[in-house]
Amino acid sequence: MEGILFPHGVAEGREGLEQYRARGGYEALAKSIKAPGEEVIKAISEAGLRGRGGAGFPTGKKWQFTREAPGEPRYLVLNGGEDEPGSKKDRVLLENLPHLVLEGTILAAYSIGASKAYLYINALYDVAIKSINDALAEAKSAGYWGSNVLDSDFSLDIQVVPAPHNYVAGEDTAVLEVIEGKKPWPRQKPPFPVTVGLFGKPTAVNNVETLANVAPIVLKGADWYRKFGTGESPGTMIFSLNDDVNRPGVYELPFGTPLRYLIEECGGGIKGSKKIKAIMPAAPSSAFLPLDKIDTLLDHNSMRDAGSALGCGVVKLVSEDSCIVEELVKIADFFATESCGQCPACRMETNTLAMMIKKVQAGQGGQPILDQFGKILAFNKGKGFCNLIAMPGPPIESALKLFPADFEAHLSTGKCPAP
Amino acid sequence: MSRVCLVCQNIDCKSRGSEQLTAELEKRIAAKGLTDVEVKPYMCFGACQEGPNIVLYPEKSWYAKVKVEDLDDITDHLAGGPHVQRLDTIDSSLKELIYQLLDTGVM
Repeated sequence: MEGILFPHGVAEGREGLEQYRARGGYEALAKSIKAPGEEVIKAISEAGLRGRGGAGFPTGKKWQFTREAPGEPRYLVLNGGEDEPGSKKDRVLLENLPHLVLEGTILAAYSIGASKAYLYINALYDVAIKSINDALAEAKSAGYWGSNVLDSDFSLDIQVVPAPHNYVAGEDTAVLEVIEGKKPWPRQKPPFPVTVGLFGKPTAVNNVETLANVAPIVLKGADWYRKFGTGESPGTMIFSLNDDVNRPGVYELPFGTPLRYLIEECGGGIKGSKKIKAIMPAAPSSAFLPLDKIDTLLDHNSMRDAGSALGCGVVKLVSEDSCIVEELVKIADFFATESCGQCPACRMETNTLAMMIKKVQAGQGGQPILDQFGKILAFNKGKGFCNLIAMPGPPIESALKLFPADFEAHLSTGKCPAP
Repeated sequence: MSRVCLVCQNIDCKSRGSEQLTAELEKRIAAKGLTDVEVKPYMCFGACQEGPNIVLYPEKSWYAKVKVEDLDDITDHLAGGPHVQRLDTIDSSLKELIYQLLDTGVM
């Protein structure tokens, strides 16, 4: 299947500057730099590019807001924190296609009028950091960033910042805190970074995959881009499959591809010739889908209508011989551990939920404890600075609804029903 | 089942001295010879603005904005004395939520 980011299948090995230029690399920048920055925003808006970090916010709108916000200088931040367990799309892009990512970053900075860009990359990604540093050196000597980019009036400085590898460190305002030299703690929003961002100035924070889409769109146009995907989710998205399938890896698919295609054709199906019990399309924070939803299309609206979410495309499978309670223990523990601890409500919720699910696991609390999950989630709804507080809810509530037998088995016997 | 005094240890309650309250309460309870009462830290009761919060269970008495000087009255209550009405200020729906949770054994 033809892709946008990986036109000939997932890139293997690092693409250097000459290889990238041989396939049209930096032509989008050369073309755009002769026109006002708004033209880039216009192209991205017409293409309908949506953020790939999980929220799916329209990228053109984000850049328009940043460009129009009062205050100088403006900043562009590439968010390559990639702390979602099982996600590896950003790493693959940074390692193998650093110039595609870099050209998108430079175009984004140009479009919003930023004079400085920060490349925030997971500190564990040694290969990716080296790859991007090498690309920065190559691109600088070619005049693609630095003073007077391609002899224009536009100058751009770029700096790599290693990102701490805890979950909230990838939240966009936590990213800003780290770049400012502080702890990775999310800020209260509003104000949003587009108006009050890095050092209090207008800042666009974009995911690596989002920025990787920019140069192809600018070069080939919105009509070409919209040939991929659906009306509301144009283009492609990179999905990450892990050890629960026969062929783990990253797969670029047009939005609107059936989930079944990703799991069966790309991933080679669930490991061990088992039956799938549940699918988590955006692990670890989306609702579980039952097997009969395997033909749901991979786009934002279809996933929402099916009762789940697309997130950043880490698809997790639960096999028929696994217990959903055991899965929830891991998920609830993850959020309790990863809560940064600055918002009391988040500490209360994530820790209480983890405690509750462990009671269930141990066969304690009876039916009344199951009734408490919804109440604790409702009590904390809308609280906290960032979205982490809302993340344990969908897995827990969907599991209670879809797999009551697993909870009953634990509560009646104190033992896990899984073999 | 023995009785417990659950003392909230989340950020707000801690910043208002809940650790010191825990230690002081233990001393007073020991001094009164209340061997069936255990003082236990608790993650959070969700009433951060009203902290420090102490919940007596299974009596289900919730005392808010507790200061060290309130501890003798609370200890008296544990020893069979009167409910400390002035510290009983928490909304009944929140009380119900937390009491139900405690009833399921989450503590």
